[in-house]
Amino acid sequence: MEISIAAEKLFSFFGFPMTNAFIWTIAVSGSLASIAVLSRSRFREIPTGFQNVVEAVFESLLDLVDSVMKDRTQTARFFPLIATIFLFVLFSNWLGLLPGLGTVGLSASHEGQATIVPFLRSGSADLNTTLALSLIVVFTIQAAGIMALGLRGYAKKFFISPMHKPYVIGTFVGLLELLGEATKILSFSFRLFGNVFAGEVLLTVMLHLVPYFLPLPFLLFEVFVGFIQAFVFAMLTLVFLKMAMLPAEEH
Amino acid sequence: MEALHNLGIDGKLLLAQVVNFLILLFILRKFAYRPMLEFLEKRTARIEQGIKDAEAAGKRLEEAARKEEKMLVQAREEARSLVAKAEIAAEKRAEAIMDAVELKSQAIFAESKKHAEAEREKIFREAKEELASLVLLATGKMLKEKSEGKNDRELAERFLGTR
Repeated sequence: MEISIAAEKLFSFFGFPMTNAFIWTIAVSGSLASIAVLSRSRFREIPTGFQNVVEAVFESLLDLVDSVMKDRTQTARFFPLIATIFLFVLFSNWLGLLPGLGTVGLSASHEGQATIVPFLRSGSADLNTTLALSLIVVFTIQAAGIMALGLRGYAKKFFISPMHKPYVIGTFVGLLELLGEATKILSFSFRLFGNVFAGEVLLTVMLHLVPYFLPLPFLLFEVFVGFIQAFVFAMLTLVFLKMAMLPAEEH
Repeated sequence: MEALHNLGIDGKLLLAQVVNFLILLFILRKFAYRPMLEFLEKRTARIEQGIKDAEAAGKRLEEAARKEEKMLVQAREEARSLVAKAEIAAEKRAEAIMDAVELKSQAIFAESKKHAEAEREKIFREAKEELASLVLLATGKMLKEKSEGKNDRELAERFLGTR
């Protein structure tokens, strides 16, 4: 049993390292995109079956975004990002729970010992994926703040003159806020990575210790964790977006 | 950099993941969220329109029912007054007919009475005449002579007061 924090490279494609996590990320993106394209023409005025489920999920997500944004145009602008994050992260997380996790793969030798390079690894269990997502999110947050308040208005949140009421404290808090924005990249990426990776390690270990029945409750728990982490990622993005677009508090 | 490498962070992979997600976002936005949003909004508008139409139709129906009720009441009243008028007219006519009948019957009665009286008088007169001749005959017989001539007969008749 080999536990690797980094996603394992399966093969190289014109010098590009094709890792197991990256392949599954592409698979998730491809499936979501093709479902979207294919289901588009099947939508009917009177919903039936699957369309009802899709509509219910879509509308509840839309209501959720609207309840935070409290502005229909902003909801329409940011809903695609929030929903895509949620769906992408959700299915990436759940993908790692399929049978074959940590057990089916290429045979390899590591420090003289025969091990397996597993085929299956959730995209969320690779820091590249989560870091990419958090970079996009944090960049969008800054862009939204600047677009809503203007560059000067947005900068006023972080650079506070020490001449006014809270004096040096205000300036210090502003700089801390700026640091907080940078820290969001780390917190976003490591929260998701940590949860999903820990889940996969836990399941692999459980499977090696007691192959039957014992991993089952953990599997159910990881289904729950996968949903919660996707939800948390999307909700935090939403809330941070809203906060970035609020004007600086006047002291 | 060593720490990043140990965590499995790879510049190429990171960039690929960013591009991958942005493509997914673009496709979903174009093919799923936008059409779905428009679709749902259109349907919501249609349902709202439908409810509004149904409400309007209901109101119209109610109004029609009220109008109908009003018309019915009016018609009933009219019918009642018509019947009453007809009754009065019929009564009047019946009375007139009765009056006419009475008049006629009285006339018939008077006529018949007159007739009867005339008849009676005629019978009486004839009886008197008969009686006169009988009396003449009787007196003649009593006088044992046959009275002759007009004078005697006239006498007898005058006696009986028939002329």
